[in-house]
Amino acid sequence: MENKHFIQIITAIIISLIVSAAAFHLYYQGRIGELESSIKTLREEVTELNNELSKYKILTLVDDQGYVLNLTSYPNRIVSLAPSNTEILFAVGAGDKVVGVTDYCDYPYNFSAWIEAGNMTSIGSYWNPSIEPIVALNPDLILASPASEKAANRLRSMGYNVLMLDPKNINDVLQDIILVGRATGHDVEASILVGTMRERIDCVINTLRNATFRPKVYFEVWNDPLMSAGPGTWINELIKLAGGVNIFENATSQWPVVSSESIIQQNPDIIILPSSHGAGPPFWGSFDRVKSRPGWDAISAIKNDRLYVINGDIIARPGPRIVDALETLAKIIHPEMF
Amino acid sequence: MLDTDESENEYLKRFSHWKLTVFTLTSTLILAIVFSLNVGFAPIRFFTVLRIIANQIPLLSSFVDSSSIPHVEETIIIQIRMPRILASALVGAALAAAGVLYQGIFKNPMADPYVLGVSAGAAVGASIAIVLGVDISLFGLGALQFLSFICSLITIFIVYNISRVGSKVPITTLLLSGIAVSIFLSAIVTVMKVIAGERLHAVVFWLMGGFSYVEWKDVGAVLPLICLGIAAAYSFARDLNILSLGEETAQYLGVEVEKVKKTLLISGSLITAAAVSISGLIGFIGLIIPHITRILIGPDHRILLPASTIVGAMFLVICDAIARVIVSPAELPVGVITALSGGPFFIYLLRKKKEGYAV
Repeated sequence: MENKHFIQIITAIIISLIVSAAAFHLYYQGRIGELESSIKTLREEVTELNNELSKYKILTLVDDQGYVLNLTSYPNRIVSLAPSNTEILFAVGAGDKVVGVTDYCDYPYNFSAWIEAGNMTSIGSYWNPSIEPIVALNPDLILASPASEKAANRLRSMGYNVLMLDPKNINDVLQDIILVGRATGHDVEASILVGTMRERIDCVINTLRNATFRPKVYFEVWNDPLMSAGPGTWINELIKLAGGVNIFENATSQWPVVSSESIIQQNPDIIILPSSHGAGPPFWGSFDRVKSRPGWDAISAIKNDRLYVINGDIIARPGPRIVDALETLAKIIHPEMF
Repeated sequence: MLDTDESENEYLKRFSHWKLTVFTLTSTLILAIVFSLNVGFAPIRFFTVLRIIANQIPLLSSFVDSSSIPHVEETIIIQIRMPRILASALVGAALAAAGVLYQGIFKNPMADPYVLGVSAGAAVGASIAIVLGVDISLFGLGALQFLSFICSLITIFIVYNISRVGSKVPITTLLLSGIAVSIFLSAIVTVMKVIAGERLHAVVFWLMGGFSYVEWKDVGAVLPLICLGIAAAYSFARDLNILSLGEETAQYLGVEVEKVKKTLLISGSLITAAAVSISGLIGFIGLIIPHITRILIGPDHRILLPASTIVGAMFLVICDAIARVIVSPAELPVGVITALSGGPFFIYLLRKKKEGYAV
């Protein structure tokens, strides 16, 4: 009897324990749920606030054509529309964010191999690239050049972040490097790079300070028709900085088509021809062919055999290697001082 | 009036045949457009393309789950491929229709939409806009499009007035003055190219023609003009038939020859100028499409004009699709594709139909 009573009490206690445990469990489950949902709302609020905040954390940039670009965060998917832009991006340390380059981009890496391996996407030509391959990459920053001006305008009107790099002289190139550094969050690397470039430029200028003679230079941009570099080009500026006088520095256009006669009459002391890749022969043949042009044997540069080849890429691309071009030119024009 | 000998029944039979032709061609055009929408650098699945398009149509959009459409693909279809394809269809239609008109008016198989100097005028306008860097926007068109449109109209006005003798415009004088003015204007374009400097490539690019950077606003700006021009031309299709008997005969048959000629020349010039302003110079279509259509379905302008219009649209849509993908991610100028594909086909048709062929 007593035993039975005892069992009843025990059962009641166990049941009440179970019930209360269940009640407690349900209660805390509810509390945890509540807490979780409040944490979730808090999280949402925080992201919302962050978004709100990022609107005020605008990075405002003005590109070379005066377009204003507002970035709310640093770009992660950059498309470069010019070989020089690609060189700048990699030089300031933003290369890992580059997702698209042109078929002409070949420095600092062999991008065509990257493209074949699937590590990089080609967006096609540097002149007038088509829009679809660029948009397909979903870029958050596009670095354009005057050769892709139409594409840049179209992309800008579609709401993409476009930065136009259109340098007119070496100082512009340096400023563009700073601009790209700011846009990609690599300000420090960019200013260090520009600092070194300035130092190297100053070094060339200081060395040439004592130069008494400024040789006349003919730079042949193209051979058929004969084409040279005129005022407003960085080739003209580089020749000047390297202690020479460009015989077409007063031409009427930037890339004047010149006559054979005018070159003979100007009688340059030095003839410089660009190569397409590295330091090979000029891309349209040999020195002998240049020397054998009718009447050219009267030119002082030919008489003294002062014909030189310069890597066409470093002198034609307004990128970090423009300083290499300056140093090479200075050594060509003033071999006695270096 | 020509139909006096023709029984009512026979005409109705022919008319229903024409309706079938137009229906078939239109369906093929729609197929070509759908095909072209699916072609491009970015691989977008057919089903996704359909969903993106359905999402744009007010009634259908409620059935489409728009959140699952990737933003990039939508941008590519709606903002890049669609305006491009519509522009190529419009330009193809305009050039082919203008070709039919000019070949009909001049009764000359060599006539094309550019015969009155539209192309040279447009080229002058475009090169001025590019070289001087004019940066204004008028009537929804950019400076380049607007200047090329205006300059081609001025050119035609000059050509027309040079050849006007009293109230008449003799066809031969019109052709010759068109050629002379074109040569003069091409020289101006050459001068512009020489002084263009670094903008030279932009001029050359425009002269090659193409649809790489066409936007919706370009399509919108020229659509009404081209549609109105083609509609106006179509209402004179019967008169064009009669004109082919010779101007004097047409006059006897009660056609106001000078008035018809003037109206057709104006509408032909307007649609060509409008087309060229957004596409640049695309050769071949205006010359060959009317001939191809004529070989295929006969010389009656009442069917030749609408059929050529649709065939022209279809042909250019397909050519542009090929131009976009053949050297992807780069592009070929669409004029290269039109000439490469259309030339041999035209020669084939010409050889096949050896027994006499007249415009």
